Amino acid sequence: MEQMIPIAIFLFVLFLLLGSGVWVGLALMGVAYVGMELFTSRPAGDAMITKVWASSSSWTLTALPLFIWMGEILYRTRLSEDMFRGLSPWMARLPGGLVHTNIVGCTVFAAVSGSSAATLTTVGKMSIPELRKRNYPETMVIGTLAGAATLGLMIPPSLTLIVYGVTINESVTKLFMAGVFPGLVLALMFMGYVAVMSFVSKGFNPDPEPKMSVMEKLKNSRFLIPVICLILVVIGSMYMGIATATEAAAFGVIGSLILAATQGSLSWSSFSESLMGAVRTSAMIALILAGASFLSLSMGFTGIPRGLADLIASWELSRFELLMALLVFYIILGMFLDGISSVVLTMAVVEPMIRAQGIDIIWFGIFIVVVVEMAQITPPIGFNLFVLQGMTGHEMNFIAKAAIPMFLIMVVMVFVLIAFPELATWLPDNIRKGPAG
Amino acid sequence: EKWDMPMAYAATNFHSEVGAAFASCVTEGTGGDLEIVTHPSGSLFGGAEIKRAVMTGQANIGERLLSAHQNENALYGVDSIPFLVSSFDDHEALWEIASPYVASALEEDNLHYLYSVPWPPQGLYTNMAIEDIEDLKGVKFRSYSTATARMAELTGMLPVQVEAAELSQALATGVAESFISSGATGYDRGVWEHLSHFYEVDAWLPRNAVFVNLDAWNDLPDESKAVMEDCATTAAADGLAKSKDYTSFTLEELKKNGMTVERASEHLMGQLQELGATMTDDWLEAAGEDGQAIVNAYKGE
Amino acid sequence: MAAAKALRRILDTLYFIGGVIASLFLIAILSIIVLQMLARWTGQVFPGATSYAGYCMAAASFFAFAYALNHGAHIRVSLFLTALGRFRWWGELWCFGIGTAISTWFAWYAIRGNQISHRWNELSQGLDATPIWIPQLSMSIGTVLLAIAFWDHLVRLIFTGSHGITTDLVDQSQGE
Ligand code: NA
Ligand code: NA
Repeated sequence: MEQMIPIAIFLFVLFLLLGSGVWVGLALMGVAYVGMELFTSRPAGDAMITKVWASSSSWTLTALPLFIWMGEILYRTRLSEDMFRGLSPWMARLPGGLVHTNIVGCTVFAAVSGSSAATLTTVGKMSIPELRKRNYPETMVIGTLAGAATLGLMIPPSLTLIVYGVTINESVTKLFMAGVFPGLVLALMFMGYVAVMSFVSKGFNPDPEPKMSVMEKLKNSRFLIPVICLILVVIGSMYMGIATATEAAAFGVIGSLILAATQGSLSWSSFSESLMGAVRTSAMIALILAGASFLSLSMGFTGIPRGLADLIASWELSRFELLMALLVFYIILGMFLDGISSVVLTMAVVEPMIRAQGIDIIWFGIFIVVVVEMAQITPPIGFNLFVLQGMTGHEMNFIAKAAIPMFLIMVVMVFVLIAFPELATWLPDNIRKGPAG
Repeated sequence: EKWDMPMAYAATNFHSEVGAAFASCVTEGTGGDLEIVTHPSGSLFGGAEIKRAVMTGQANIGERLLSAHQNENALYGVDSIPFLVSSFDDHEALWEIASPYVASALEEDNLHYLYSVPWPPQGLYTNMAIEDIEDLKGVKFRSYSTATARMAELTGMLPVQVEAAELSQALATGVAESFISSGATGYDRGVWEHLSHFYEVDAWLPRNAVFVNLDAWNDLPDESKAVMEDCATTAAADGLAKSKDYTSFTLEELKKNGMTVERASEHLMGQLQELGATMTDDWLEAAGEDGQAIVNAYKGE
Repeated sequence: MAAAKALRRILDTLYFIGGVIASLFLIAILSIIVLQMLARWTGQVFPGATSYAGYCMAAASFFAFAYALNHGAHIRVSLFLTALGRFRWWGELWCFGIGTAISTWFAWYAIRGNQISHRWNELSQGLDATPIWIPQLSMSIGTVLLAIAFWDHLVRLIFTGSHGITTDLVDQSQGE
């Protein structure tokens, strides 16, 4: 590539600004500005505003602050306590204990929301305090949360799959169905890792849960009823055609308010605190999204992502080699870009390569999602890392380190997908051929 | 000089392919003096931002579905008046009359019009057989523009506002049961998974227009301008041919996947054209003298 | 001194009001979505609902930028700052200097972008046909607030040695 020096400058500025402690959203803007100045004569500031306004005023984004608000409301109710009271008698005996609630919670919430950040804030807000109370190792709590929240992108509904489907002209419904089993398998792999670590790791000594008879356990399970109702309402509203995916978030907020009211934990102060808390968190995320949208524009002008994809295309690799090259390519890209941007910036070049190799394009969508999920937890620009930092106050490197095992599990998941492509293709193929089709 | 050209649709869409061919035609024709790089899939600017971006020089050239901007100027919606034209040929005749008006409207927006390519004709997707316009009463119909909202109002359909990104899911869950679009959209989105009928009603043929920032255009040397205009003529012709081919291809695909694809009955078509007359009047009211001149000239032929 | 105190109170109130306005827009998003669903179930139309929800989304974000900064909600990688130890002030000066520069640049172009929309009479492409410059006012005002907050903290950092951002980690105990 002839653009080695500009790329080097670009990376230098990125690490300088982010590393020295400039606020993430503003640092991204600064980097994007430098990119625009280096690679194009177009007016950087005007272009930034066009892009920032479009990304901040988007209808599909409205679900995000609503889900964050829902998390803030639930966090102030007895719901999370109750949920853990209902679950702990059953799960405490499992190897890994209540850490599994992080993963199961994210998997269930992934079926409600299309974004990883919403999944992370809602589940994390409830589970982190409860798990800490019980002395689970902090790295385990943070790491599993960072990893499992990315299931929001794989288990339908999924914003990434919608964008991928529209970009390559394939059925979004098929893609959604393709995501179901791989999402569940990935969740199981996370749980397997937790189980193994509970034996291996010396630091894994949570407080023991009190022993209970089966009757007592069943009796305690009544605490789960409100949570189950809430989940059923939100998911049900979507699948019964009452609400679109975005509108389901509104059901979530209203459901949580009702729940809080019935538990007597809804007061003016808890209401306003939850609201202001949601406003702060979504403003934090919005500033980063604004910066990221400008960075994505700047990357488009630089032509770096497409140049790299072109480079890979010129190598004429075999099918497996190509997938490996793309795996490395998207991991590197994912360090610096959010998933949706890396998809739209590269698909024009990558799609023909995939089709030419006879790779199933629906299957490849799931492959892409796993890789995009990794991007959420890889530094320096990893969205889940940012959100967790805002939520827990831990340093970025602590969170990133805690998430490394999850990253490796996702790499393994890619090979599982290659070995068993039916995981992704079976459901869409068979439902298509069904009597309804 | 390098010009970046934002485009809204996927790289494999025929509009994007025509645009890419146009870009390399210009690059070769000017011997590399003016290199045009296309950015499909809204990867640079999304569809909704492309006009603003080119208008203000944030990109020098771009492609946009023109009728999306008819709130700003009714003339941009001349290609989307329901049931005014009923075939590619009719539509081209209308466009030949209208394009000078549209070009001068674009010029007021600091844009130089280069060429445009029609989408395949818009048909009606439903989940049941429709014999009479009464059958449409109470059907949940996706409205996304002034024209589609008005259509729902006139036919008694229940308008539901569904954004493009949520279309597939809205159909899957029954939030929407019917919509108007080209056979291409139905093929791209695999609509047969949810709906059963496609009626070729040729409601309208919206166009994607390619335009250049006026200042950038004026700064070009005359040779480059000539090359661009030549390439634009070629692109317009290629695009029209591709659009026609693609229409028959996508309708075949809809059929292959089990949808009933047919022309609307004469009875239904007559009712729809009545409705079209009302909506043409609506449009004329908004489009003023220029609009009247276009429609008069078209009907006079 | 009294004047400085009054100014301090005015500025903090200003950021807080921004946050309150943002919260009202968050409630507005919820209301619009609920109204849209109600309209659909009863066969009514709420034209442009999705556009309005989008504008409220933008307003809920932009108005809260300064408020979030004042509460330490905007995140950054503070590893290097911590490592600086007693030289941390210089690191903070660099961060607030860059932050002030970028946020001021952001506000400047937000206003300019707002003017562009007004001058070209850009209308929403949805059913609402709103002149875009009106909802964009939230972007102009919000980014200006953010820039003011950065200047405020920068000046405080230079003259008092501390930037005055209070991170309230009430619910963020480190699990010790
Ligand atoms: Na999801
Ligand atoms: Na990353």
